[in-house]
Amino acid sequence: MSGWISGLGAFLGRSAETTGYGLVLLGRTLFHLPHLLTRRRIRDTLDLCYTYCTGSFTVTAVVALFTGMILALNSGLSLQELGQEALIGRIVAVSLIREMGPFMTALILTASIGSGIAAELGTMKVSEEIDALRIMSISPVRFLILPRMVALTLVTPVLTIFAGLIGILGGMFVAYFQLGVGWMAFQNDGLEVLTQKDVFTGLFKSVVFGVTIATVGCTQGLLTRGGATGVGQAARRAVVVTFLLVIIMGYYITWAVLT
Amino acid sequence: MIRLTNVHKQLGGRKILDGLSLEVEEGETLVILGRSGTGKSVTLRHVIGLLTPDSGQIEVLGEEISQHRPENLRTVRRRIGYLFQDGALLDWLNISDNIGLPLRERREHSEKEIVDRIEEVLAEVELDGHALKLPSEISGGMRKRAGLARALVCHPEIMLHDEPTSGLDPISSSVINRLIMKLKGMGITQMVVTHDMGSAFEVADRIALLHQGTVRALGTSDEIRQSTDPAVQQFIHGKVDGPLAREIREDPDSSNNNESEES
Repeated sequence: MSGWISGLGAFLGRSAETTGYGLVLLGRTLFHLPHLLTRRRIRDTLDLCYTYCTGSFTVTAVVALFTGMILALNSGLSLQELGQEALIGRIVAVSLIREMGPFMTALILTASIGSGIAAELGTMKVSEEIDALRIMSISPVRFLILPRMVALTLVTPVLTIFAGLIGILGGMFVAYFQLGVGWMAFQNDGLEVLTQKDVFTGLFKSVVFGVTIATVGCTQGLLTRGGATGVGQAARRAVVVTFLLVIIMGYYITWAVLT
Repeated sequence: MIRLTNVHKQLGGRKILDGLSLEVEEGETLVILGRSGTGKSVTLRHVIGLLTPDSGQIEVLGEEISQHRPENLRTVRRRIGYLFQDGALLDWLNISDNIGLPLRERREHSEKEIVDRIEEVLAEVELDGHALKLPSEISGGMRKRAGLARALVCHPEIMLHDEPTSGLDPISSSVINRLIMKLKGMGITQMVVTHDMGSAFEVADRIALLHQGTVRALGTSDEIRQSTDPAVQQFIHGKVDGPLAREIREDPDSSNNNESEES
């Protein structure tokens, strides 16, 4: 019993320490934000934006397309039984723009980019490259963390919009070919109920998720200990922690917006 | 130039440095020897401010750095070069960009001056012709030389070498030793941590043998060779039996103790 309690205590202590480290890291990154306005940092950030976009573009497109199709098929068949299949547009549009788009994009970016950032920084940590930067009086926050955080914060909303549009397109295909709902009917119904608030909620979520993925990935990377095993653990923890945070924060943002 | 006074350090509950006192004069090359786990690399990490002592003073270039004040550390680090065991080069930058990194980040020189300086240090470490290769495309010895070039590019007054010849073939080791001798000729103060006895006797002005976190023996190469201390003789000749054999501890140099305490 006492072993269980001490284990829980140690876990809570480590979690609090990691959370504190992550928040301080985020604060320091914001403090260094003015340093982004140099040619080298802008170039580094744009390079990362390109890498992150190209690295997740295909998977985001495929997942979004099929999510939209599944959503349309599930809801459409139920609505068809009630003779209300014409309402399929609003369900697909609102779900994808406000909820599913930001959520699935965040999960894809967590798995593909967030874990990659943790592994990359973790490898740099264990191979003393981060110490080398410090010794050269180069701030790792300014040199490594700032471009990654900014790039991911910019890329996430862009991919979220893209995912939403592709998802709606998938939903339209299913509505047209399998449910017999016309293109214009789908589009008009979707646009009729989709409000600016829905769009901004989706975009706001995506920005929060982008910052979260980058912060957790960078934190886990910089806290890596040991060798290859430590790097693997950092990547795994980055994915697990971000998944949990994304889903919890997603709920609370929706709750705050709707109530 | 470098003065460590009564430095104590525990890492992971183990005493690594136990009242270590050491002084390196300007222009001197001090070689630190000792078994794995005696705190050689930890000593270097204290000198560069990556670790903070539990107690004791560390003075480098006239600045007290043991309290980890960021402004002191920045001032001191700009005047020190550090060669890591594996070079610690950034793997996405080519050799030229790795070497030029500290100069470009300081933004005190024109691009032409930076390029000229990179070419100069590449020639010094005999890596001209490899400037555009990535670290993964060159050998371990070349990576060490590239790491040395990066450390030298800002004209350091002090060079710290962490096992500069470990894992190298004899010829590559000789090249590194020759470079250390060249730096010595330029009047650069150096601390060299090594297990390579040949290298130690070749480059050292003085040699310190660390044992149980403190200096067991200190003297010139000849004094160390002729020492009657059985620990020194055991270490020089690599004998299994002797006073050093009793020191069975985990190797802090190869564990998490190499991690910096800076966040």
